Amino acid sequence: MIEIKDVTKKFGRKKVLKGVSFTAEKGQITCLIGINGVGKTTIMKAIMALTPINSGEILIDGEKIHKGSYEKITFIPDTITMLPQMKIRDAFVFMADFYDSWNQKRATELLQFFKLNETDRISELSKGNTAKVNLLLGLALDVDYVLMDEPFSGIDIFSREQIANVFTSHLIENRGVIITTHEINDIEHLVDKVVLLDEGVVLKEFEVEEVRENEGKSVIDVMREVYQG
Amino acid sequence: MKRYLKLVDFEFNRFLKLYLVLFGITILSQIIGVIVESRNYLNHANRVIYQDLVPIAEFLENYRTISLIEISYSAWFMGPIVICGVTLIIYVFFIWYRDWLGKNTFSYRLLMLPIARIHVYLAKATTILLYVLGLVALQLILLPIESQVLKWMVPSEFRTDLTISQITGLSDLRILFPHTFIEFVLYYGGGITAVFIVFTAILFERSFRIKGIIYGVLYCAISLFIFMAPILMNEFILGSYFYPIELFFIELVAGIVVLACAIWTGNFLIKNKIRV
Repeated sequence: MIEIKDVTKKFGRKKVLKGVSFTAEKGQITCLIGINGVGKTTIMKAIMALTPINSGEILIDGEKIHKGSYEKITFIPDTITMLPQMKIRDAFVFMADFYDSWNQKRATELLQFFKLNETDRISELSKGNTAKVNLLLGLALDVDYVLMDEPFSGIDIFSREQIANVFTSHLIENRGVIITTHEINDIEHLVDKVVLLDEGVVLKEFEVEEVRENEGKSVIDVMREVYQG
Repeated sequence: MKRYLKLVDFEFNRFLKLYLVLFGITILSQIIGVIVESRNYLNHANRVIYQDLVPIAEFLENYRTISLIEISYSAWFMGPIVICGVTLIIYVFFIWYRDWLGKNTFSYRLLMLPIARIHVYLAKATTILLYVLGLVALQLILLPIESQVLKWMVPSEFRTDLTISQITGLSDLRILFPHTFIEFVLYYGGGITAVFIVFTAILFERSFRIKGIIYGVLYCAISLFIFMAPILMNEFILGSYFYPIELFFIELVAGIVVLACAIWTGNFLIKNKIRV
């Protein structure tokens, strides 16, 4: 389980996170929702120790992040984290060199799933295909937790569908996923839990199925209540 | 350790094309330099001897023979060394900023590798050191080749043949090829420490952005002060109390302290404070 406990974060005088707390379970898809600038990406970076926090605590399976943690949690940001001049094949070699959790079989499977060519150079790929390679590099790691920052941002409808299909496949099964988005429509039917954020605070945290069954509300209904109510 | 070496290999290869261009420039410029400078010397000798009818012995007395030392002061020879030096100094900064600036988010990947982050810092420093040593080694290989070219170009009575040790000992190349252990420690130890200080200053900037520039400059000033403190104290407070060799060893300790602080601070920043 990923536990975010009362995390605060300031950029200069601006407080971006004002005591954020929530949890994300293994085997569940947790969706962080909020408009741009509410601190979604900052939370992701803080979990991965890519930005320091001012107070609070972040635990992954009960322990603070350390070098070994990167074998069981990965972050897929909204831009590719490989050198643009690399071919997809070179990126695979790089990942295999540094990660014990790299699963080449799964990488090849994903390559076929996304209809990509391993001899393609990353800098020459379309925006949609670059997003797919980015996703591929994260999902081909045998990790317990995957963090995805706006995976549908700025890509065409067919690529969005392909990426959305990943969430229902065995590629995500049994993993804990935290995904940020400001467009819930693409994945509403896929998420297990929602954390609604605004101006650095958690406004509401709820299980989608529970709300659907008990209150007969969709995620968008709850969002309307919280943000506009 | 294996992953650290892989990281060094990776970092080394990232700059390899430009590095090989530096190799090419050095080889071409210095060999052409030997040919051009030799021809200039011979043309001058021909003019003086055959037009002004000055005897060879008198010419040699007035103008002396040519050796690689004279050629080593030419722009053909020193130019590529300066270009390589300046390029590597720029790369000391670029080796970090290339992963952060623009659309490049490779810094995310480097910081998310399942290795101690200090390895990223040390791998980049090792890469710079290897680049420097590679260029020094190239120079060492080039000198005998250039000596041979000089022999082909200039008749023996007009040239002075020197050993590599003489060439490197008597010219400005001495800074690249220290002749004593003390010189080696001063030049290479000082250079390595300077690289680590700059790396740590860059990490201050990458951690605290604009405030980090101020912290970085302050940190560099403090490091320099600690390094210079024994010399300044000896000069202005103790009235040259220490012998030079004693001062050297005190400086050596000061240098080790500064280097250790740079690595420790760098480790703290890249582990706890760095931002992507």
